[in-house]
Amino acid sequence: MKNWHTHVFTSTYTADVSGVCSMLYELGGMTVLHDPSGCNSTYTTHDEPRWYDSDSLMFISGLDEMTAVLGDDNVLIQDVVKAAADLKPRFITLCGASIPHIIAFDYRGAAKLIEKETGIPVLPVPTDGLRSYVSGCSLAMKAWIRRFGDRKAEKIKGRINLLGVTPIDFSNDENVNAMRRAMEDAGFSVRVFAMGESFEALTEVYAAECNVVVSSAGRGPAQYLWKTAGIPYVEGLPSGEIMVKRIADAIRKGGCTSVCQNYESDGKILVIGEEIFACTMASLVHGTPLWPDVDEGLDEDTLMEKMEQADIVIGDPLFQYGRKGNAKFVPFPHEGYSGRIFRDDIPVFTGIDFDIERFIRGKL
Amino acid sequence: MNGYQRIADMTYSYNADIGLSYSSPARGVWNIVHIGTLVPESHQIFVCPTSCLRGVVLTTAEMGAMDQMSTITVGEDNILEGNMEEELHDGVVKILSSLEKKPRMVMVFTSCIHHFLAVNYQRVYKILRKEYPDIDFVDCYMDPIMRRTSPPDPSLRRQITRVLRPLEQDSRSVNFIGNEFMTGENSDMYMHLVNQGMKVRDITRCSSYDEYLEMGSSCANITFHKAAAKAGRDLEVRIHQKWLPVRSAYDYDVIDADMKRVCQALNIPAPDADEIRKEREKTEAAAAEVCALLNGTPVSVDYTAVDEPLLFTLWLKRHGFTVESCFIENFTEDKEVFEALQKELPDLKVWSSLNWNMRRAERGHEGKITAIGQKAAYFNDTNHFVNVVESGDMYGYRGIRRMMELLKEAYLEEKDMRKLVQIKGWGCHCG
Repeated sequence: MKNWHTHVFTSTYTADVSGVCSMLYELGGMTVLHDPSGCNSTYTTHDEPRWYDSDSLMFISGLDEMTAVLGDDNVLIQDVVKAAADLKPRFITLCGASIPHIIAFDYRGAAKLIEKETGIPVLPVPTDGLRSYVSGCSLAMKAWIRRFGDRKAEKIKGRINLLGVTPIDFSNDENVNAMRRAMEDAGFSVRVFAMGESFEALTEVYAAECNVVVSSAGRGPAQYLWKTAGIPYVEGLPSGEIMVKRIADAIRKGGCTSVCQNYESDGKILVIGEEIFACTMASLVHGTPLWPDVDEGLDEDTLMEKMEQADIVIGDPLFQYGRKGNAKFVPFPHEGYSGRIFRDDIPVFTGIDFDIERFIRGKL
Repeated sequence: MNGYQRIADMTYSYNADIGLSYSSPARGVWNIVHIGTLVPESHQIFVCPTSCLRGVVLTTAEMGAMDQMSTITVGEDNILEGNMEEELHDGVVKILSSLEKKPRMVMVFTSCIHHFLAVNYQRVYKILRKEYPDIDFVDCYMDPIMRRTSPPDPSLRRQITRVLRPLEQDSRSVNFIGNEFMTGENSDMYMHLVNQGMKVRDITRCSSYDEYLEMGSSCANITFHKAAAKAGRDLEVRIHQKWLPVRSAYDYDVIDADMKRVCQALNIPAPDADEIRKEREKTEAAAAEVCALLNGTPVSVDYTAVDEPLLFTLWLKRHGFTVESCFIENFTEDKEVFEALQKELPDLKVWSSLNWNMRRAERGHEGKITAIGQKAAYFNDTNHFVNVVESGDMYGYRGIRRMMELLKEAYLEEKDMRKLVQIKGWGCHCG
């Protein structure tokens, strides 16, 4: 019987709380993760390559049993107020894991009280520690745009936003720069949410003519911007010349579409990874994509079955544990899955120079 | 750097565990996964929400020990349907049916959410024990929300001993309980016991589960860390092995007293006055040599290297070292140690390593500094540091002399601090 909960051999994708921290990391805020302990060091150790060399603010609230039982939110509120007085962040984000979720912690209420005391904008991002980083990134980005996006910004011709960019999916600046360069060379003015951009630059979010969802973390904000401001979006990863052209054409054509859903699989190549990545690569190699569900991750039985049926499996090296069958394995590390373990082996997989077929040949 | 307090200005009740906390990149301290993997032929199953699983899974993956752990993810559906017990049971059954080799012991870690939802996991274990009579199931806890009353680390050090059963006691064998590192020539206790013909059993020396279970036949348990106290006390009550706690060993009189107490309890001769005198002389000479070498170069100590950093600081001060700063989480020493430092080293800078201000503290040090411990090294941004966690394999006079060797080496040679401190579970056998 299939059971998505149980993982005998395989790892787990990082959680929503890490997504929040990662998405807002470079924007000058202070993220407070409401949780007893552990989620902070997990994020800073495994999910955040920028932690050692920067001083962005991210803390754990240190929730304890009595505070949770008594529902004494004042402990958190006063700690955050004191820390904000010392550190003077530009804004504060409140997110949390499973205990605040089950005791129905009032994120919005606490945010309002902190904001009233500090005068600093506070974003409530009600994560629950049960879902994947895709959810956390998405909620955080939407909350930030809702609060700081300039709705009156004038449209800029050729301006696009790349949505869903964090080290969890893209690992390093090289990937971000290659993606940006590719789209700029295709004639667009680019804003990247949210790596390598200033707070001010991103407030121009509404100036874009189109959003490009480069990872599934960007889909939520893209839909939000479509719904609230009519900005269309294109889903696809600018990886390789063909895909960059497809995205550019789709942007110019207008409307909401995906350029990575037209894979015609012969079932021989399985691409495992984040949804937009997996679909993009699968569409380029006529493979089958497999990606984790936001709520349930990857069902291990399905994963094992599909790996067994394939001739070639492209995926994070940690998927090799417990694998059966004779498929050739092409290691393609993903920070969101294996964290820092294979960080140095993550290729520059965006931009026009990346060729997935050549990459596979090089690994076989 | 900024944000420290002079020890003279502090009160003993000062507690760094104030809630909102910072996590530094120094990651050498062991976590529960590292401790659990010490048990031979065991398997760990973590039952938690995704956010809690991530850290333990990747700890395991970094150790290359994915074949020793599995997970059961708690989802929203479990909360809504109230089927945590079924999920736990069915998940464990699935895991056991999938593993190529059945483990002898299964540690099932439940988490904070299980406490709050009043999950009856003991009933599940009861069923599992009936279904798998050849496997020892141990209830373990990754529940940091309970850390003020029962932190996960001491709890686990106790739980992994719960499988020890009362055997016929051997008066010539004794256990070291709660250690992370195998002890040997750098431990007075180990060397003395072995020289007296005693057999020393320690989980760090066990290569099979059967060998581990034989620890039930020792007549006494010696613990060296406060985190092992729960285990020592529990074994004394449960299987009637004497518990002999020894204290942090940077006070000669304490070392001698503890050695004597242990030897009396085991009916063996304690180190005699002549041996003690020689040990002290050798230790003093070692300290004097290193102190002369450092020649006033400041030293910084942290709580990850030794259990009682202020006690060690006091010892260093009394041996002529220039101790400038100490990084702590909270006070683990007796008040007398604190008060002695207030008098003898009033300008000692005490940093709360978890405090939010540490994130923006200016790392670095004007001029050379030698650090003892990873956090002291990180915050002082020095490559001259002693890379040790939880006192390593050191105890007693030999331990102090070993520490002096390490300090000398740290002063003379640089290490790749950035790389080393970020490795999780420093010195773990699987690392």
